[in-house]
Amino acid sequence: MSAQEIVFDNVSKFYGDVLGVNRIELRIPPGLTSIVGPNGAGKSTLMNLMCGLIHPDRGEIRVLGIPPRDPERLMRITGYATQFDAAPRWATGFDFVVSSLLLFGYSSSMAERLAWAALEQAGLTDAARRKVNSYSKGMRQRVRLAQALAHDPQVLVLDEPLNGLDPVVRAETIALFRQLAASGRHVVISSHVLQEVDVISDRVVLMANGMIVAEGDIRGVREEIHEHPSQFLIRCRQPARLASLLFERAPVVEARLMEGDGALLVLTRDRGEFTRILTRLASEGLGIDSIVPADENVHALYEYLVGGSA
Amino acid sequence: MAVYKRGYQRYTGPRAGHLERLLVLPREAWRRLSSQRIVTALLALSCVWPLLCALFIYISNHTELWAGLDRGFSRMLAVDSTFFLTFMKVQSVFSVLLAALAGPGMISPDLGNQGLALYFSRPISRLEYTLAKMAALVWLLSLATWIPGLVLFVMQASMAEAGWLAANWRLCAGLVLGFWVWVALASLVALASSAWVKWRLIAGAVVLGFFFVLSGIGVLVNAVFRVEWGDLINPLRAAYGVWCAVMGAEMPAGLSLGTSLISLALMAAVLSLALERRLRPVEVVS
Repeated sequence: MSAQEIVFDNVSKFYGDVLGVNRIELRIPPGLTSIVGPNGAGKSTLMNLMCGLIHPDRGEIRVLGIPPRDPERLMRITGYATQFDAAPRWATGFDFVVSSLLLFGYSSSMAERLAWAALEQAGLTDAARRKVNSYSKGMRQRVRLAQALAHDPQVLVLDEPLNGLDPVVRAETIALFRQLAASGRHVVISSHVLQEVDVISDRVVLMANGMIVAEGDIRGVREEIHEHPSQFLIRCRQPARLASLLFERAPVVEARLMEGDGALLVLTRDRGEFTRILTRLASEGLGIDSIVPADENVHALYEYLVGGSA
Repeated sequence: MAVYKRGYQRYTGPRAGHLERLLVLPREAWRRLSSQRIVTALLALSCVWPLLCALFIYISNHTELWAGLDRGFSRMLAVDSTFFLTFMKVQSVFSVLLAALAGPGMISPDLGNQGLALYFSRPISRLEYTLAKMAALVWLLSLATWIPGLVLFVMQASMAEAGWLAANWRLCAGLVLGFWVWVALASLVALASSAWVKWRLIAGAVVLGFFFVLSGIGVLVNAVFRVEWGDLINPLRAAYGVWCAVMGAEMPAGLSLGTSLISLALMAAVLSLALERRLRPVEVVS
């Protein structure tokens, strides 16, 4: 098994009679990976398995070559933030992060230094000396992120890390995730908000009912789905004319004029041929402003694969 | 992939040993305990009886203070197994009260916050977490039990005539061992209560109920059904049986060391199981 990947090999986990996850085959390379699915899809179970918090009933897991049953080695390379409001209310943000570092065996001075660095990364320096019970929801989310980051782990597993963050902090946090992923770390986040992960992830793992329904980069997954025609949203000055030309020359299944905003939604089963013809039409003076794939997003993929939105 | 080769460098500096790391938890728990005024007040109150016992030892070893009094009085002033058993009985009540006050805040906040996952995503096992939390309680209860007991014993040994220590060393071993058993049981009860009962007041009441109500039920069972197995659910009597045995004192009627040990072992097993069932890093659907 690869020492650079998180590997799930035919992993199943049941809670008594209740299915957690079933027959998971997954390899997660470095970068930003989002696990997406509705509540109860198995996202948190997958993350808990990754961190060794629970163990599979069947199958094998390796995190960069380390089995989760070896917590001493595994915990050194992983940073975990639960989706719950788990930080102790009586502690200050700084104390909370320092304590977690002391549990990793850092000296007090080193722990304090790393805690300040992590709190700064999470944008909590000013509030570090305040008690957690005085924090807003977003601040409590960030202090959990800080304790997960503080020991500089190679694998970050963050359960719903963007919940409760205001737009500015959310953008900063996403930028931080990207920066961490770009430095070669594994950043695995879960979310049930599809639009959110669509924008930030290198790859997505779509889950439903304890199983993986698709995984990979969003475009790659979309191209694998043949039963649903691809959708393109075209903005141009003459949408009606473009629609008729497309029906004449291109493999178009449906074209829908979007009233009022000069846009045309086109459905095709042959993306390659369609884009070739569209490129030629663009030079015929139809005034095409933009062509955007309308269903290369997690929301659309989810509808196609699971039959409902998350 | 190029991304593998970018800047990440893992920390390779020195780290504390496993035990040192584990001590972070009891230290933190102790800090919280010692910041509670009511716990400190009760701990201070628990020192009153040992102080009175110390005065008793002083008087009993200064014959000039009660010279001229009759023999019965001098026998009453003897520092023997009865003296130490009485000391243990009183201090054990204080230790239960302390456990009922301090215990409920040990685990339930972590469970309530769903915070166990944060502990268990560190290199800490469930057993180590339990032992670490227990260590803070054990230390608190030790301050009210075997530590003052040991001080009293040392005081008596230093004041008594030569030969007292050689003749009574078993009292010391019994005192310490007996209290260790008691402190372990009280800590386990407090932790189990904290793990299962969310509300501190009720959790404290459960601790008191375990020792006093259960003991009452045990006595009642023995009396109503004219049996002796009621002792098996009587923690006070079971512990007292062990104390008498280790101190070489006369066992209470109808009680044996075997019954006491079986009773305590059963209680410890049930409490450990209760903790094991509850201390999960994630909520388990059943």
